[in-house]
Amino acid sequence: MTETILAVEGLHKSFGSLNVLRDIDLQIHEGEVVALIGASGSGKSTLLRCVNRLESPTSGTVRFRDKVLTNENVNTIRREIGMVFQRFHLFPHLTALQNITLAPCKVLGLSEQEAERDARELLEQVRLEAKADNFPGELSGGQQQRVAIARALALKPAVLLFDEPTSALDPELVGEVLEVIGELAKQGRTMLIATHEMQFAQEVAHRVVFLHGGEIHEQGTPAELFRNPKQERTQEFLARILNR
Amino acid sequence: MQSLDCDRIDTMEQRLKRNGRIIAWLVCLLFCGQGITFAQNALERVKQKGELTIATDPQYPPFEFMENGVLTGFDVEIGNEIGKELGVKVTFLSLEWAGVLGSLESGKAELIMSGLTITEERKGKGYLFSRPYFLSGQTIARRKGDTSIKSIDDLKGKIASVQTQTTGQFALQKLGVPDDKIIKFDLLQDGLSDTRNGKSDATVADEPALQYILKQGYPELELVGGVFVEENLGIAAWKTAPELRDAVNEALGKIIADGRYAKIYDKWISEPEKAARYKEMFDTLEKVRNAGTVTADSAGSGKSNFWRGALPLLFNGAKLTLFLTFITLTLGIPAGLCLALLRISPLLPLKFLATTYVEIVRGTPLLIQIFIIYFVFPRIGLSFSPIVAGILALSLNAAAYICEIFRAGIESIEAGQMEAARSLGMNYVGAMRWVILPQTLRRVLPPLTNEAVALLKDSSLVSVVGLSELMRVGKDVAANSGEPTPIYLTVASLYLCMTLPLTFLVRRLETKWQPVSQENRVKK
Repeated sequence: MTETILAVEGLHKSFGSLNVLRDIDLQIHEGEVVALIGASGSGKSTLLRCVNRLESPTSGTVRFRDKVLTNENVNTIRREIGMVFQRFHLFPHLTALQNITLAPCKVLGLSEQEAERDARELLEQVRLEAKADNFPGELSGGQQQRVAIARALALKPAVLLFDEPTSALDPELVGEVLEVIGELAKQGRTMLIATHEMQFAQEVAHRVVFLHGGEIHEQGTPAELFRNPKQERTQEFLARILNR
Repeated sequence: MQSLDCDRIDTMEQRLKRNGRIIAWLVCLLFCGQGITFAQNALERVKQKGELTIATDPQYPPFEFMENGVLTGFDVEIGNEIGKELGVKVTFLSLEWAGVLGSLESGKAELIMSGLTITEERKGKGYLFSRPYFLSGQTIARRKGDTSIKSIDDLKGKIASVQTQTTGQFALQKLGVPDDKIIKFDLLQDGLSDTRNGKSDATVADEPALQYILKQGYPELELVGGVFVEENLGIAAWKTAPELRDAVNEALGKIIADGRYAKIYDKWISEPEKAARYKEMFDTLEKVRNAGTVTADSAGSGKSNFWRGALPLLFNGAKLTLFLTFITLTLGIPAGLCLALLRISPLLPLKFLATTYVEIVRGTPLLIQIFIIYFVFPRIGLSFSPIVAGILALSLNAAAYICEIFRAGIESIEAGQMEAARSLGMNYVGAMRWVILPQTLRRVLPPLTNEAVALLKDSSLVSVVGLSELMRVGKDVAANSGEPTPIYLTVASLYLCMTLPLTFLVRRLETKWQPVSQENRVKK
């Protein structure tokens, strides 16, 4: 059995009286790609945000390898957990290259030359080496999201979280981003991806987790879950989203 | 120009014929009103209006001051008697001293009665003086027991406070006291506070005023050396109104002759030992009946000289204004930023402190803050020179406004920026420093420029502690010239000369930082 990188145990999250996540248990192993599916409002984003503690859980724990995340160690552990946001959140005052080198320089203390060399490699990987000196405002949405992926990779994280990475994109730009994520999967990266792209989930994920009403309703391999969903809710959801 | 006006009147009349003659008449009046008034002399105009406007600075007891909300004093009562003689109602127009001096030229008032001393210099500027109606003189107020000051000569090498553009100031200048040793206040009382607080060594002003004010509330001060310059107070009219001046003289003569003057005098200036001197003065009044006559020529001469003298003064004032603004921004921007960071910080006590500070400073007038720092702090042992007090007050004030600019700027940055930075392992401080603040700076540039421009103009308020910045110099020069309009226009253009380059510079910066706004456009 490969090592467990992330373990979510008994996670509860409520905003006031609203229970957004209920009793979530989820483990992600080294090299595993897990797709998180479910309707809007089912708690996918909140779960991802609890995993790197952008939201602190109401109860329950998140463990990274053998360490439980706390307010004290979170800054260090976040280096190991890369995050890609739905709306990119690139730093608009910095060029593509500077967006990528900022954290390695300021957080890891890398020299500028070192960070820049790594960053150019990453830009090549997302096929944007020509856009190194452009500002985010000068890039298309798909290009911005690819820079954001490179930025998340710059700290060499052990796991990557994707929060609906293509939902804010024009349809014709979705492909280029999925392609990059697919390549990362092939490289054996550990990833937790919240997504509405069922086709994509089916192709790249080792495991698919269906979230409904803040609870994990069903999970399994893409083959099991997509071809033969056991739960009624899962069937309903898939029917709705696949016939769209 | 004239024919054009007539054409307009004609067409208006034609159009309005059906509406009757009255409206046409009104229109005529509107266009010709100017001509009609010029046809009359000033005295006739006053009588026609039935109202005589007298400008006065109501902070000068016992001559003119507010008592229980009512303007009263020696000048006020004499002025009312003059109105009775002329058969018109008297309206007193309360202005600052500099405004009083400019009120005749601008036509705001017909007369000045404000403890005004008759001087050759003022006559040359276009003031027509009545016969003297009060014998006054300059004397010195010192801290009790300060024996280093016994006479006016002892003030050489010391710091003396005066009310700006008064004969006290002129007397010190004549004595050769350098300008930076003469601290000029809008209010005589502020000058006295300055001496009491030990910043000035003495205050020089009219003897009757000092007598009265010291009795009212400066037990720490005393008069010394007696009157060192005797002066006559006069009522001033403008050079275009000799008839009015003559009528005032006639009225004064009657008031003095029938004993009304003596009654008013006793009421306000109760010093029996002086009575003999005033008897003497009444006698001389007749002899100097025509004092103050001035020809248009002598008023006009030396005009180019005057500008030659005034411009360097104004430039120096502008320099001080720029200096104050620059230093204040240098101190106020970092201070404001720190306050803003405290205001948004999760630490409640700090947040509360910063919020309280901002609310208090924003909610009270800057003028009062300057007063407190300069006049009140010395009483608890914190004494600042005028320049330091001015900079301190302006900076503390600006910091509160700049804090709010930064706070709004920081809060306008999308929450996602902070989250992205934190998700990359930066701590709060790092995220602020590398991600949030660089973007905030670009966004707050326009409101910050606004604040800088406002500050440049607000810096004029520090003149109350005697700093000769541009506005104060402008007022002084204007008061001195008797014709404030061109001076004030010059002052306004000097302010523009300072603000326009500033806004231009910032626009260049904004263009340079364009990428940020492009980002906003793409995201919509």
